[in-house]
Amino acid sequence: MRSMSVVLAVAACLPAQKQDFGEAYSFDERKPKSRVEQTVDELLPSIVKIHGASGLATINAYATGIIVSDRGHILTLDQILLQADRTRVVLYDGSVHDAILYPADERLGVRLLKISPEEVDGELRPLWPPSEEEARYRTGQFVVSLGNCFRLAEFSEKVSATFGVVVGKANTALRYRMADVKYDGDIILTDACNNPGHYGGGLFTLDGRWIGLNMRLLDSKETNTMLSAAIPSRDLLPYLEERVLGKAREEVTTEKVPVWTGIRLFEQAGRRSPPAYVDRVKRGSPGKELGLRIDDLIVRIDDFSIRSCAEFRRVLEKYKPGDTVRVMWKRGTRVMEGEMKLAEEPK
Amino acid sequence: MRVRRLVFGLLATAAPLCAQQAGVDPDEFLRLEAVLQSALDKAAPYVVTVETFGGTRRTLGKDGPMDGPAPPKPRQMPPKLDKDHEWRWLPPPAPLDPEKAPKPEPEKLPSPVPMPEPKPKPDRDDPKKKLGLVAGGFQQTQGKTSGIILTSDGWILLSRFALNLDPTTILINVPEVGTFHAIRGGEDTSRGIALVKIDAEDLPVPEFVHPDDVHVGQWAFALGRTFASDGPTVHLGIVSAKNRLFGRALQIDAYTSPANYGGAVVDIHGRVLGIAVPLSPSGRNAGVEWYDSGIGFATTIADIMPLLERMQQGQILQRAWLGVQLSTKHLGPGARITGTPKDGAAAQAGLRKGDTIMKVDGIDVMNGPHFQMLVSSRLGGDVCTLVVQRRRSDELFETGPITLLDAPWSEQTSGNEELPASFSLPEGEGGR
Repeated sequence: MRSMSVVLAVAACLPAQKQDFGEAYSFDERKPKSRVEQTVDELLPSIVKIHGASGLATINAYATGIIVSDRGHILTLDQILLQADRTRVVLYDGSVHDAILYPADERLGVRLLKISPEEVDGELRPLWPPSEEEARYRTGQFVVSLGNCFRLAEFSEKVSATFGVVVGKANTALRYRMADVKYDGDIILTDACNNPGHYGGGLFTLDGRWIGLNMRLLDSKETNTMLSAAIPSRDLLPYLEERVLGKAREEVTTEKVPVWTGIRLFEQAGRRSPPAYVDRVKRGSPGKELGLRIDDLIVRIDDFSIRSCAEFRRVLEKYKPGDTVRVMWKRGTRVMEGEMKLAEEPK
Repeated sequence: MRVRRLVFGLLATAAPLCAQQAGVDPDEFLRLEAVLQSALDKAAPYVVTVETFGGTRRTLGKDGPMDGPAPPKPRQMPPKLDKDHEWRWLPPPAPLDPEKAPKPEPEKLPSPVPMPEPKPKPDRDDPKKKLGLVAGGFQQTQGKTSGIILTSDGWILLSRFALNLDPTTILINVPEVGTFHAIRGGEDTSRGIALVKIDAEDLPVPEFVHPDDVHVGQWAFALGRTFASDGPTVHLGIVSAKNRLFGRALQIDAYTSPANYGGAVVDIHGRVLGIAVPLSPSGRNAGVEWYDSGIGFATTIADIMPLLERMQQGQILQRAWLGVQLSTKHLGPGARITGTPKDGAAAQAGLRKGDTIMKVDGIDVMNGPHFQMLVSSRLGGDVCTLVVQRRRSDELFETGPITLLDAPWSEQTSGNEELPASFSLPEGEGGR
């Protein structure tokens, strides 16, 4: 009798559970939709699939783009697959269009394509980087990433959506191993996965704000791990305004003058560059003014961690004479900090 | 009986009714976001950055030492640990007297016994490896990792991973407070954690949650401070399992990697469930190979406060080793011994082949795995008493207190442990 009642209870529970499950997660027409579904539905028509040249096994011939104007401008990450005459764009409805290429932005590593809007059936649904206020994001904020990862979407199939959070904002001190990552500004780290093909797609908040353009998977030298990241959409504005709106861009050209600190580091010949211990400081040099002494270990310049002599030189290449940098060094067990005004090498 | 059935029936119909009333919440994630961010704000002050300088490069995992580098010798730490205690580096060694200086030993002649052939190295041109089907070892970089504040007077808890390269200098960056030089304290190799001391006061201290109060399925956020400039990084997940690695760690599915090893794994109130460390269940690899795979470990802290005190005195804690080989054929009760290595604690206590261990500290041993569980959860230096049955005898006898030894450090260079499929990236796809 006891087992009988248990069986009955289980039987009564089963349909109930199924009903509950269907209520929340079925594909049936139902309202309201969850926030994630709403966002994905709204944004998908603005995302395109891009097919380009291939040839080598290691080059993927597919990527993702974002429509940024109703005149047919499409923004994507600049990649080898984007070759003139061989780049095609597949819209939301499955229609295929030939695209012409605009010059890429060298610093950002992004490129605009253009398809002719006359050949498009219906209206294009462009996106534009939101205002500064709206482009804000926080660590731990939920995000949806859209892109055609591994070319899973063909014809009118929709691109993939991945869900995650903003893992954090990384500064330029994050070093990458990959040579073709040119962008050196702040990036958005996320755990919404960024696989090949996802590159050039968008990163969106749950209320549909476009906060980032998906970058390639980064190979971080800092940790030796792979990272999914995005370029903040606001940083794309100068390029978009120049190429889409026709605004003239201020040309900034600077002549590279090497900086001089008067610090000589203790470098041994070897396979690896040793930590940046000070070997000698020239009299009257910026290093002397800072108060550096022999055997001090330089550990940081501004936000850059200095873990080797090679890094010390590499970081200083980013500055020009006259710049002031914050230097942190270790003397014995004390950690000291000070400002150093970089100079030009005396003749 | 009829009444009981009615109750069951009522329960079964009540559940879907409640669910219907609640309906679908379209903004569930927005609500969760606020909770998550308040947890982040609470946890941010005690998650610190660990920077290391100098040291030697190592590969961990398949081609390198499986357990990471061998643990260092116990360090001499002043026994006094009150708040006013001043920490100084060890005094410089006295100058050597040339007469008392040890003379160099005469060069040893080559032994007439032929040396064993060196083991063949793993074939780098293995076609499988070329295709990326076999995950190689993990090359650790000299980078930043994370840590958490343990006490307000400057004890910092971090992952042993941060010290794998045996750095010459360790700096701890406490957010909003400053950067400090750190001195190494003790370690627990079985839990993958280490302590360092910085010269700071009034640091923010987290609240630790005892593992007994943790439930499988609850939220677990893995925080780190490796990349982010303005705040900790966060990965979301849940507690996947409790009492992993013989009761030492929680298993979580939040992504853990060198980007957040040493960082706090917190609940939605910003309290510390544990700290993220690379571990592997069998102890046969470094655990780093599993980074970002959804299998992560968080060493629990609230239950090991006495051990942390030992670590503050510079002790190196290691997994216990009794020194018995167990029969796999004997299914219990008890665990049958098939061998006792002569340098093990068991051999010294007089145990021998054929004995069956019936009890450990009064607990009845069900079978071999149960016995392993009972011993492996202990540390070297712990004492245990066994009740043993000799072969062909019904008599039980009790051993005296046996002091367990540290588990011998195995720097194995190969293993057949399966790795999660997601780890091996096809070459080229990821740019590696």
